[in-house]
Amino acid sequence: MKGRHAAAYRRPSDVKPAPPPAALGSEWAVETRGLTKRFRSTTAVNDVELLVPRGSAFGYLGPNGAGKTTLIRLLLGLTRADAGTMSLLGYPVPRQRDLALARVGAIVDEPRFHRHLTGRQNLRLLSAAREPAALDRIGPVLDRTGMTDRADDRVADYSMGMRQRLGVAACLLADPWLLILDEPMNGLDPAGIAGMRDIILSLVAEGRTVVLSSHLLDEVERTCDAVAIVERGTIIRQGPISELLAGAAVTLRVECSEPDRARDLLASAGLGASAQAVPAPPGLEITLPAGPGGELIAEVNRILIAGGISVYRLQSVQASLESWFLHVTGRQEDPR
Amino acid sequence: MTSVPVHSAPPPGQAVPAAPAGQPRDRRGSPLPTGAMISATLMELRRRRGLMVALVLMAIGLPGLFEGIRLLLHAFAPRTNPPAGGDMIFAVLVAGFLPTFAFIAAATAGCTAGSRDLTEGVFRHLVITGRSRLALYLARIPAGLAIVGTVVAIGYALVCAVSIFAAPSFVDDSNANVPPGLSEAGFEHWAATRARTVICDLPYSGRVPPDVACPAGPISSLTPAQTAPPALDALAVRIARQDYSGYRGIFLRPPATLMLTAGIWIELEAAVGFVLGLGLASLLGQRTGPVILLIMSQLILDPILIAAKIPALEPVRRWFFGLALARLEPAALPMARGLPGVSGGIGGPGSGQSLLPESPALAACVIAAWLTAWTILGAWRMMTRDA
Repeated sequence: MKGRHAAAYRRPSDVKPAPPPAALGSEWAVETRGLTKRFRSTTAVNDVELLVPRGSAFGYLGPNGAGKTTLIRLLLGLTRADAGTMSLLGYPVPRQRDLALARVGAIVDEPRFHRHLTGRQNLRLLSAAREPAALDRIGPVLDRTGMTDRADDRVADYSMGMRQRLGVAACLLADPWLLILDEPMNGLDPAGIAGMRDIILSLVAEGRTVVLSSHLLDEVERTCDAVAIVERGTIIRQGPISELLAGAAVTLRVECSEPDRARDLLASAGLGASAQAVPAPPGLEITLPAGPGGELIAEVNRILIAGGISVYRLQSVQASLESWFLHVTGRQEDPR
Repeated sequence: MTSVPVHSAPPPGQAVPAAPAGQPRDRRGSPLPTGAMISATLMELRRRRGLMVALVLMAIGLPGLFEGIRLLLHAFAPRTNPPAGGDMIFAVLVAGFLPTFAFIAAATAGCTAGSRDLTEGVFRHLVITGRSRLALYLARIPAGLAIVGTVVAIGYALVCAVSIFAAPSFVDDSNANVPPGLSEAGFEHWAATRARTVICDLPYSGRVPPDVACPAGPISSLTPAQTAPPALDALAVRIARQDYSGYRGIFLRPPATLMLTAGIWIELEAAVGFVLGLGLASLLGQRTGPVILLIMSQLILDPILIAAKIPALEPVRRWFFGLALARLEPAALPMARGLPGVSGGIGGPGSGQSLLPESPALAACVIAAWLTAWTILGAWRMMTRDA
């Protein structure tokens, strides 16, 4: 699945102007153009061009206060945009918001319910606002989220994890083709996180689109096909995870004798221009530039052997989503 | 785990229909709420234990307690405690307590309905369904009125039942043993046949001949022997004539038409309280403040405006909903805005209408304007509020 939308992506700056309203046949589940939202002097969402392919699991990542939730609120019509256009499932929002949201399920911030009602009663209340068929889905969605046994308990007695699952159940009432989940793993124990991951993956397997906003980058990497990184209201990167990480620096771990001399050898051989080596006992850690690194790794090996260094092990480590995220959001010094 | 039926999610490049194939498109953009929405909102409100306890307490419990105490007192000490029912007690309760408590109870329910979705974070979930916010707002009105109207109707039915079934069947005060249901002529005839009893035991504001002595002792010791019997009979008839209106009031059961019109009026009070509370709470996004404001308007502002004869306040009097509601009170009831004893409290039947500036038609228009304005304000805020 990963990378299957690679061809559809371009860097935001390369995106062509919005197509005509044709958009109903769009391949994007979510499409925004120049979306902007200001709160007095603060621009929470700044000229955002977001493209979420249909049928994908899409991670929407950013540090706290980056404008993730504000963008979700804009998409769902919970607040109004100051500029730009957007569409959900091909329907322009807010003009055809009711048609779009008919097939959208969403959790924003945290799922909140009437505490005096049971889980089932809360779902009944929400399904009443949807189409008549939503009422018939209450049983199946409770079953799917593993909430059937506790459905008739009051929400006041639910744990955070149970409320999260009930929130997903509420989303599924729409039989949605697009789910927007804001931090769905919050408050879940490891088993709960695994269960939520299974639910999300099964929804994507059914052809639904899931947009996942989360701080748990490891979970996003395991769950999503593509991501967008938002920083200070602006999307700074978006695309399939595999492609984005392919463009990230690669760390080469070298276990060898005489690490200090090995570093000097590499520096004198002129490798310092394209890679940086730091001692990491019992060897070195060399950060290689992005791109195909096979030849560079072989070159490192040759230099060290020629210099009389015993090389015990060479290991190329691809950057994780977390380290890449920290790098591109400036939370981590560029190791190059 | 079972899976939710998937209606063949369309592949990229194909439009997503708003409803699965074979199902009618739901008109969720319509401003009109569906029956399911109203029913679900009713369920949500009905299951608020605190709200329901407050409603039942105010609309049923307090009049029930009042009537219950009177029934018990009369049962245990009938000579010193009059019966719990009858026309006069009905008038006191219906003109004084019931509308006040019905309004406050309904306003509390309205404020709850108008604010709780917001404060409990469910409003956002409802908006995400794509349903028209106006429909979400309007669904609360019939749902809330169904609850408030039912509770108020039960409390009112209780008062009516006690007023009818516990109305006095005879008066044995001072051993007069007056039978019920006599016409004026019948009452005079009855008095003429019991001149000594009537002269000595029924109230009379005229002059009693000095030679008629009515000792405080038992009637058997009465010695009106000096006065000729025809003169005593005539005096008894005069006393009966003077007391007839009081006699009729004591024994009368409230007329069916009065009970019907008073019931409608009390339900109107409750409906106005609910709709105003709903609009105000939706506008302000909270419950406590609006509840306090509406209670103050009912208990403080209304009586002040009714009693005030300040020319500068005349426009306020003319356009204030509380006075308009008072204007529509059935004329057979004594006017009472606020609790008895508060300024403008219970007076004679129809006494209040003369204090109020509007005609009934204008009063109805004023009420309609208030309901419309607050519904528009509440709905507008709900439609424009960030969820």
